[in-house]
Amino acid sequence: MKKLNLAVIASLLVVAVSPIMYSLNANAADKETINSVATLRDATPIDVQKEPNAIPKVVNKDIKQGRNYPMQPPVIPHTTRSYEVNKNNNKCMSCHSRHRTEKTQAPMVSVTHYMNRDGNFLAEVSPRRYFCNQCHVTQLDAKPLVENTFTDMHSLMKEKSKANKH
Amino acid sequence: MTQNNHRSSEYHVASLVASPILAQLDEVKAVITAVEGAEIHAVSDEGKIVFTVEGTGFKDLDKKIDIIRVHKGILNLSPVYHQVLDEEQEKKLAESDKADEVSHQVK
Amino acid sequence: MTINRREFIKANAVAAAAAVAGVSVPAVASNLITSSDITKLKWDKAACRFCGTGCSVNVGVMDGKVVATHGDIKSPVNKGLSCVKGYFLSKIMYGKDRLTTPLLRMTNGKYDKEGEFTPISWDQAFNVMAEKANDALKKDGPEALGMFGSGQWTVQEGYAASKLMKAGFRTNNIDPNARHCMASAVGGFMRTFGIDEPMGCYDDLEAADAFVLWGSNMAEMHPILWTRLTDRRLSAPHVKVAVLSTFEHRSFDLADNGMIFTPQTDLAILNYIANYIIQTDRVNKDFVNKHTNFRIGQTDIGYGLRPEHPLEQKAKNNDKTAGSSKPIDFNEYAKFVSTYTAEYVSKLSGVPEHKLEALAEMYADPKVKVTSFWTMGFNQHTRGVWANNLVYNIHLLTGKISTPGNSPFSLTGQPSACGTAREVGTFSHRLPADMVVKNPKHRAIAEKIWDLPEGTIPPKPGYHAVLQNRMLKDGKLNFYWVQCNNNMQAAANINEEAFPGYRNPKNFIVVSDPYPTVTAQAADLILPTAMWVEKEGVYGNAERRTQSWYQMVKAPEGAKSDMWQLVEFSKRFKVEDVWPEELIAKKPDVRGKTLFDVLYKDSSVGKFPLSEIPEDRLNDESRDFGFYIQKGLFEEYASFGRGHAHDLAPYDRYHQERGLRWPVVDGKETKWRFKEGSDPYAKPGSGWDFYGKKDGRAIIFALPYEPAAESPDDEYDLWLSTGRVLEHWHSGSMTQRVPELYKAMPDALVYMHPDDAKKRNMRRGDLVKLISRRGEVQTRVETRGRNKPPIGLVYMPWFDASRLVNKVTLDATDPLSKETDYKKCAIKIVKV
Repeated sequence: MKKLNLAVIASLLVVAVSPIMYSLNANAADKETINSVATLRDATPIDVQKEPNAIPKVVNKDIKQGRNYPMQPPVIPHTTRSYEVNKNNNKCMSCHSRHRTEKTQAPMVSVTHYMNRDGNFLAEVSPRRYFCNQCHVTQLDAKPLVENTFTDMHSLMKEKSKANKH
Repeated sequence: MTQNNHRSSEYHVASLVASPILAQLDEVKAVITAVEGAEIHAVSDEGKIVFTVEGTGFKDLDKKIDIIRVHKGILNLSPVYHQVLDEEQEKKLAESDKADEVSHQVK
Repeated sequence: MTINRREFIKANAVAAAAAVAGVSVPAVASNLITSSDITKLKWDKAACRFCGTGCSVNVGVMDGKVVATHGDIKSPVNKGLSCVKGYFLSKIMYGKDRLTTPLLRMTNGKYDKEGEFTPISWDQAFNVMAEKANDALKKDGPEALGMFGSGQWTVQEGYAASKLMKAGFRTNNIDPNARHCMASAVGGFMRTFGIDEPMGCYDDLEAADAFVLWGSNMAEMHPILWTRLTDRRLSAPHVKVAVLSTFEHRSFDLADNGMIFTPQTDLAILNYIANYIIQTDRVNKDFVNKHTNFRIGQTDIGYGLRPEHPLEQKAKNNDKTAGSSKPIDFNEYAKFVSTYTAEYVSKLSGVPEHKLEALAEMYADPKVKVTSFWTMGFNQHTRGVWANNLVYNIHLLTGKISTPGNSPFSLTGQPSACGTAREVGTFSHRLPADMVVKNPKHRAIAEKIWDLPEGTIPPKPGYHAVLQNRMLKDGKLNFYWVQCNNNMQAAANINEEAFPGYRNPKNFIVVSDPYPTVTAQAADLILPTAMWVEKEGVYGNAERRTQSWYQMVKAPEGAKSDMWQLVEFSKRFKVEDVWPEELIAKKPDVRGKTLFDVLYKDSSVGKFPLSEIPEDRLNDESRDFGFYIQKGLFEEYASFGRGHAHDLAPYDRYHQERGLRWPVVDGKETKWRFKEGSDPYAKPGSGWDFYGKKDGRAIIFALPYEPAAESPDDEYDLWLSTGRVLEHWHSGSMTQRVPELYKAMPDALVYMHPDDAKKRNMRRGDLVKLISRRGEVQTRVETRGRNKPPIGLVYMPWFDASRLVNKVTLDATDPLSKETDYKKCAIKIVKV
């Protein structure tokens, strides 16, 4: 009985609060993204849920995507579904390893991957780099919820060199 | 998998730090300088050599680094950085840059 | 001039290598970049913003913006590597919706709990906060005030907050989100060893012959430690890896012995291993006789739910005796665990007997050096402290502890859960350096260091994380400040507790965050906050490594660090506003002063001049307050632990090092604690010295298997486990704003066994509802993802702000640690 009462109180509270949350969010949606609330929820009230979108597909176009800075691990431009990467097999390396790239024309792993923890070169890819998916990820065909204003070095310099001409 | 038909248009650069046996510092420097596309940028007080190797592909870079790596005066060689530039793609980018700049100057 | 692209990337390459070698690049190389000064890229070191591993990263700054990050080659932790999140650190500060002005709910220009968020100035924000705090103080006293902080606060922020709440406002109602994360680990350490934090260090990873993962998916949650474990396993063929979990995940990719067990039965498996060691006569008798005591703990201790809950009504010992224990001898202990036979435990847990035996044999074999890792599987457990105690039992029975490779190793989730939450003691019951508010001696020590009158610190432990939400709902906690966490997304059972609590008209909720999170959405006042390298700070990682960084870029105009907010707010209160007359009378010179004067400026916090900050360094807070506040806070905090086995190095040294593992004695860090020779605090001739206990002996506990708070039944027929993912940091407020990370893992799906889906007529991608007794959440079915649950259990991560799985979870906690069990509740799934 006691529990039921609590539940009733809770639901009353929720009802009381909901209209306000709605009005707030209707307003937020009209505003700029700056200083608006709950961008990642599309400003949906907390006690409501928007219908989840369908599971996006993996981008599988095999077109290399630019990097934000040179040391960023490149993202994977193809699907890796049912790729086995475990202690016995590494499917990624069957195309991307040093002696396979000629045949497959896939990009070879960077030379930095041949260095062990102590900084020495190895004949094979260092085991500490064995699980490719800790740094390299596929991309799903989903539109980011929030724009990111990160500017890479190259663009910053270009802007500056333009500005310098004035 | 990925088809890449523009291998010749690739520009590779890697930067490395070499820790030589101090007594052989000059020899190691000479070996690095002798490799085509290799360039020394700095040597620290402890003798660590910061250098880059440029080349046209992974194999090319590998070959060049190997020449340096096997030198007896080297205690340790650490690759720090590696980037590939696809210049075909860059050319297109550069062209659009140029167009930008032209319009900028007109203003 | 147009910059040649080749020259540009070459210059980057040179800059990175020069940073690694620690040399400045001479003019020749600068010339190579360009003759003008447009390419000044400055590299500096920082601790990664994400998990408890504590990687060091190099951060490249140009024109006041972070433009690049990579793993620090000089760091012993990660040696040049980062995980995918770490590689994208550069972008976490640049989500377009960064908050830049305080926002208050208002109607017609006045605060209104039901109003709309309206931009106001910082001055107005502090005015309304001070008014609300004063109202609460006058009406119900200090206990009506509370703060919820974070294991992602810097050490200085946590310390400043703790001092403000415990000494300034005189309330212990401050707790960090680390309560959700490793409170059970703390409980385990304190109970078994009498002193917190791991005895081993990451060097164990290169020394062990066998690894056991207990409820830890290191491959996703501690990726860089996983690279070290993988390196060890694949480089040394004799090394074996055992992985235990309630569902199959990525760490099973490396497992020689992978085991899926029925939730909660880990307790029985742990006791079986102890039994096996005894039965096969492999107890290290010499070690056990010299260095351990045996005790039997209280049982039937309840589930940390509200007192009126039927489970609490039923529990016999969910009172003050829950943590008590009685001494026993070895024979009584042996008899206690003897019921945990392979046959019984295999039946209970669902793990085949031969797998259990292989696991037990690894621990029992005296020649095998074993490192055990655990994280949330143990800690987020209604018997989490027990689980921690039980794994120590195994290492103590075999003497496999505190030597390289022999290591029971509790991993932490957050970057400074150890540093800020545990070492600083931002918990509702703690003070710095493992001291507690209940102990009058401890309070006296703190009052002396803080130069405050006796009786300033209240003796009663405050509201812990879960209790805070309950007290908000009950209207007992009325002024509440949330910093550096997203608890409306992270707390369990938000439908019944947190949400009605925050929206209770009696309460005023302040949320400080760089971004508009779910928690901010539920607030009354939102404060825009500076983050990571927009401020100077210190983090402490899981291996006791303390790391610092300088401020490298300015925060967006209008955003201020958590520490600045706390300290600036303290200027709004005179001592007379918050302390009773009899307390002031004990120290009359504080009369007329503000809390800012008493707690910061005129205390030892204020004694380091601005001149100690290198001239070329930013430091917005210090230059604002007029003294080197980060150093002052750190040094005052460090004075608690120096000479008490928590020694930290002088502050300035951390700016030179890639971190140091405490205790730092005579300038040297400590790798393995409690072992003579490697720990300066271990007494000569002792061999091992568990000096956290008065007699130097660690405790082996007899504790049973007890069932979970909620198990599946006919109606709610599935177990639900929640957790994290590789690509996102916790609630995703930073990483979901990085397009590459968002696109790698945009939505939280429910991972199901294909047979479970089929049975419910569901297919991959179907829209479904997860329903518990508390609420529901909608998502889509995943049957072939990276997590492969067994039949009868589903897994859903909690990073997704648009799919709040914590509407469904149960807020049952470990009664000892008060940490929520996020891994077990009963749900049903229906198609929408």
